Amino acid sequence: MTSATVPLAPVRRWISRRQSAHRERGATAGNIYFALLFVAVVGGMVHKQLAVVFWPTAPNASRLAAASLVPVLFGLLYLALRRFGPLALSRPAASWLLPAPVSRRRLLLPSLRLTAIVAAIVGALAGLAIVGHAAPRTLGGPQVCLLATGAALIGIALLLVALAAQAGGRWGDRVDALVSLLLAAGLAGLIADSTSGGDVPAIGWPPAPVLLPLVGTLALAVGSLFAFSVRGLARTPNERILEAAKTAGTLFDTAFGVEPSFLTDMIERRYWAHRRLRSVRFPARLPVLVTQDVLLVVRRRKRLLWLALLAALPVLLGHAPHWLIGVAVLIGALLAASTSAGNVKTDAGNPVLLRLLGLSSRRAISQRLWVPGVLAALWSALALGLLTALGELPAGQWWALGLAVGPVGAVAAVRRARVGFVRNELLPLDTPMGTVSTGPLVNAAIGPDALLLGLPALVEIAQGHPLSWNTVLIQAVVGGIGARAYITGTTSNERVELSAR
Amino acid sequence: MVDHHPAAVEVEDLHVSYGATPVLTGVALTVPAGGGVCVTGENGIGKSTLLRCVSSLQQPDSGEIRVFGGAPGATPEFWRAVVTTVEPPTWYPGLTVREHVELVCRANGQDPEQAGIDEALERFGLTGHADAIPPSLSSGQKQRLTLAVALIRPSSLLILDEPEQRLDPDGRKEVAALLADYVAGGGSLLMASHDEEFAAASGAEVTTMESLSA
Repeated sequence: MTSATVPLAPVRRWISRRQSAHRERGATAGNIYFALLFVAVVGGMVHKQLAVVFWPTAPNASRLAAASLVPVLFGLLYLALRRFGPLALSRPAASWLLPAPVSRRRLLLPSLRLTAIVAAIVGALAGLAIVGHAAPRTLGGPQVCLLATGAALIGIALLLVALAAQAGGRWGDRVDALVSLLLAAGLAGLIADSTSGGDVPAIGWPPAPVLLPLVGTLALAVGSLFAFSVRGLARTPNERILEAAKTAGTLFDTAFGVEPSFLTDMIERRYWAHRRLRSVRFPARLPVLVTQDVLLVVRRRKRLLWLALLAALPVLLGHAPHWLIGVAVLIGALLAASTSAGNVKTDAGNPVLLRLLGLSSRRAISQRLWVPGVLAALWSALALGLLTALGELPAGQWWALGLAVGPVGAVAAVRRARVGFVRNELLPLDTPMGTVSTGPLVNAAIGPDALLLGLPALVEIAQGHPLSWNTVLIQAVVGGIGARAYITGTTSNERVELSAR
Repeated sequence: MVDHHPAAVEVEDLHVSYGATPVLTGVALTVPAGGGVCVTGENGIGKSTLLRCVSSLQQPDSGEIRVFGGAPGATPEFWRAVVTTVEPPTWYPGLTVREHVELVCRANGQDPEQAGIDEALERFGLTGHADAIPPSLSSGQKQRLTLAVALIRPSSLLILDEPEQRLDPDGRKEVAALLADYVAGGGSLLMASHDEEFAAASGAEVTTMESLSA
């Protein structure tokens, strides 16, 4: 046995040469050209919206809003880095190069470099957006540059923490919990700010001579930490890299197949793999599938907490037109209901267990609509109740309208969960900017389209009049009839499978 | 489903081909009600295809299939009479091994206390894993769970594709004995297997795929 490592660079070069030999000549150049063209065209189309997001004509965020944005944006960056690795290999590399006698550090370095660049760009953009919204326009170019550089460095620092957490023990979970808490606090700050309407401060930004040494020190610290991390790269445990390689592969599949369920399924699987459960006895009174859905919700209590917190988000739209609040409430109802539609998705993807259960599709779906319906009703009631309490809506018992929206959310979520894979055989549309495949578009609309049943609520919220009980009644009736029609139209007493064969 | 029909499964002149490759040509088979038949044969000879057709999971090119005198279908009545392990299940997220078994019992109208869930888990060596989630089990344990769920609920016909697969020798003996009990209790059994000893122990009549084809 020899301890010599095989040099990695020639292996990588050989692989890329063999791969390119199978591609058409100029295919890579063509891909780059189309990617650049795409960015240019989309950038040209949405540059006004981008300006509003990153650099509005006048600063419009109060000190509280700016301070809240920091944990929200950087917290999201950190949690995303943790979810996706951050250190990953492609699946073939994980299969063939990870077990090979090559230098582990050299194997992982390109991945670290790429992730660092992405983290720096996202950090810089986040910093730029915060400065753009909060700083007075008297701020000089060097100041803005220094602030953005600082934000980029913080992005890299977060990557290094996530990297250590990937290799490290259980402290990583505690850091995740802490960051989630900060994120929640930031969201709460944003909501508090939008209700109090804090004024935009004109002062308080450090000048360039103060920033320069600060950013310089930060750069030095991050640089040395980076070097330290590179030295320790070889110590990243195999199983973590394999896990991250699977994530990267799934991300690629998701992007390539425009199929977000690959990613959500993987996250779901990982969640349960780390949970310890105790079997419970099912209560005899509840229908069996309702019991199962309740069990699933109770086992994901943290998600309920997040849902309750997110019910405050429509408040952020206080200054937007009222119809937007209505749309947000309906989409929220769909998302709340979707949290307990996982079992429908399992059955729609593979009916083997449904056959073992021997229930007709009508009985199954009728039972499966209950828990999503209750969640959607409670969520919408909470969201509309909060909006009323904070004075964003005219007088009335708006929470009651929220309850009436429940069936709408349930139908939309279950319809969404029953959608199969994207149908890529649908005719593509030729547009001046290139070919658009219709499969993903059609797929994305299935589910949300059922939110049209919430039209009475949407119209009532959009009008901005005091709530009339008639609307609540109409919404309840429309939702109820819609759910009934959905069950009769898409299920059968004579069929077990959720989709007709 | 008419359970008193003399034959549980009748297949006549069944033809199935994948593209230009014929897999089943003129296959005929009868499984008597309350009897067992085990089909053997090398890989790719069409055992699973035959079982899939009988389970109504695949449309044959031509031929006739009757299960308890009727056409196999997707109705709740069919799936209350027939249990098949031809396709692997996707387990429900966040539900333990024991809860999967209880869910199936309850959905089939059984009283879970009477159904003997814990005994079934014990018999299949899953007692220590009752609180685990099925994806965390080994492939052999998953196979045991699939069989436990298939055998605990009431049915008239079992269609099993290589049930001995991934089981250790003791597990094979156990499962063979359970299948023999099932047939002795009036159930009908159609299975495909590579293990003739296992098939004989389960009381099923062993027949080769070649002998079924025209």
